Amino acid sequence: MTLFAQFVLTGIVTGCFLILATIGFSFTRRVEGFLNIAHAELLGVSAFTTWALNKLLGWNIFPSAFVAIVFTAFVGLAIGRIVYDPIRRFGPSVMLITSVGVAYAIGGTMDALIGTGIRTLDIPLASSIRFWGLRITNYQLLVVVLAVVACASLALFLNKSKTGLAIRAMSANPELAASRGIDVQKTSRATWLISSGMAGLAGVMLGVIATLSTDIAFHQILQILAVAILAGLGSLYAVILSGLIVGVAMDVSVFWIPAGYRPLIAFAVVILVLLIRPQGLAGSAQSK
Amino acid sequence: MTFRKTMTAAVALSTALATTQPAWAADGVTFGVLVPLTGELGEFGKIVADAVQLGVDEINAAGGTKCGPVSIAVADTGGSAEQAIREANKMIDSEGVVAILGPASGEMVALVDLAKRKKTPMMSPYAGTITLNEIGGDYVYRTVSSDLGDGAASGLWLTEKGYKSVAFLVQNEESTISPAQVAKEAVEAAGIELTDFIVYNPGQPSYQAELISVLSHNPDAIYLAGGQESGVTVLKEAAAGGFEGEWLLTADLAVPEVFETLDPRILNDRAYVEIAEADSSLPEFKAFSQLTMDKTGKAPGPFAANSYDMAMLSAIALEAADACTGEALNAKLRGVTEGGEKVSTFAAAKEAIAAGTDVDYEGASGPLTLDESGTPAGAYMVKKATDGAWVDETFYPASAFE
Repeated sequence: MTLFAQFVLTGIVTGCFLILATIGFSFTRRVEGFLNIAHAELLGVSAFTTWALNKLLGWNIFPSAFVAIVFTAFVGLAIGRIVYDPIRRFGPSVMLITSVGVAYAIGGTMDALIGTGIRTLDIPLASSIRFWGLRITNYQLLVVVLAVVACASLALFLNKSKTGLAIRAMSANPELAASRGIDVQKTSRATWLISSGMAGLAGVMLGVIATLSTDIAFHQILQILAVAILAGLGSLYAVILSGLIVGVAMDVSVFWIPAGYRPLIAFAVVILVLLIRPQGLAGSAQSK
Repeated sequence: MTFRKTMTAAVALSTALATTQPAWAADGVTFGVLVPLTGELGEFGKIVADAVQLGVDEINAAGGTKCGPVSIAVADTGGSAEQAIREANKMIDSEGVVAILGPASGEMVALVDLAKRKKTPMMSPYAGTITLNEIGGDYVYRTVSSDLGDGAASGLWLTEKGYKSVAFLVQNEESTISPAQVAKEAVEAAGIELTDFIVYNPGQPSYQAELISVLSHNPDAIYLAGGQESGVTVLKEAAAGGFEGEWLLTADLAVPEVFETLDPRILNDRAYVEIAEADSSLPEFKAFSQLTMDKTGKAPGPFAANSYDMAMLSAIALEAADACTGEALNAKLRGVTEGGEKVSTFAAAKEAIAAGTDVDYEGASGPLTLDESGTPAGAYMVKKATDGAWVDETFYPASAFE
């Protein structure tokens, strides 16, 4: 029983990482109206920026992480302005395909700048916290805490701030929002900054818990898509539930079936849920 | 009249093509070096390319082949079979390479059809995949033994070490699963308790879920057959989870960079790595090692001797061949590895061939007698992590597995 509970606990941590990785992706989908496949590569931009500052320049992990998140947010904004804004009129399909190209461009740039091999941050080895026969490392706990803080902050921002309300209005009906005097350009810029900043936060955690290679960030895109699709491709809050379901399902599955099938479980869950609710966990039939 | 004109044009065209086709042969020959220079295996690709260049420099210093001096054309596979096929086509069609050296397991298997169709031999210094045991041989060669040998060496070491219980963590790839199965059979046959045999997918941020069962059984040792990215994460997470046993790692983790990415306490004095390696007591290896030190200031890296031997074998086969083509090279390749006067340098081989003598090349990586699948018998080294470096622990010559 303790072993099973350990799988559930590890699954919650996996789910929290997926929430961090997906929430910005889902946010872009809701406001900008397309699937930004390059989102996963922004995790890599952040992870390697953190690594460069922490390992190469010898900075402490905290300022390294902060600068990396801000830098990633502005990289995302720049890509949004330079690449996606000019092609917005061609529709979401063209933007999606363009985002695949952007992913390759970012990946290629990282290959050229970072080079081969593996990288890790200059941080202490994780230590385990034990309770009731269970075990969680301090870095896993950090992932959980950051996921909770990020989700709560985003919820507060969207519900209480003027820009957040403008973003919600624009995501619901862009034409109506524009006709009511909402600054569409400014709102779009805020969206790119927030979604890319979220990718930056997930990228920092990727650097903390994983071993970095230039292709590890892109490996996360399938699970990000699984969580986003399960959430309903339009709902931000459902991402939290969806991330936890996918994370726990994947990790708990290892209790019964070989670990090699973990990724299959993520999509099996998505297919099962979509058979019952084609609009996703919290999506509506009218959802974009 | 029209027919005659057509025939005349055809003959003229054939003559022109016949004149231009061996143009590279007159100026020398080119070996393609197709290796992963980017991605996780990039470190290995650079070692291979540098060692082939070292071999080519020696060949040219000895006067080059009878087809002229040898040059190399290097391309990056990025670890992708699709990219390998694209680059191989480009090398053959545009640069006229007579052999392609260096692809890793997945790329080699993908290139088998192309090699036979374009009559261009392919050779790998580290493709241990057992798939090549079946489809290798004609146009497809390697200077490293099959993965089954790696598994046998790992199994032998695990049983000799006296562990009571062992867990297996194996990356979900054919090249890691095949040797792990062989090692597992050896462990089970020796009566050692196999606590877990877990196959995991690479590319994950964390492998905690895979480690839960392994750590709960607290085995004496964990056999970890993984890539660098997954392997390092598994090592870190197992240490954080309180694992205090020993490790047997596979070749991908045999690079010095592993020590730069891990807390030394995780590896030092408790981690071992098994790797196909030349017998360092052989004079051929000592000569190669000295040459590498002289030219680069560093000791040979993993698979460097096997890579150097690819260049030597290709050049010697070309020297013995009837023409300066991949097809002619292929016809002689296995022949120069057995049954003649033993030679260990290109200069000696060239001299013997000129005197009409068959040669048997014994390379820096050991005797290279290629069997029908184009594979040599292997020797293996188990190294121990000591003070932040891999230090030789136990050597298993090919005869240990007879």
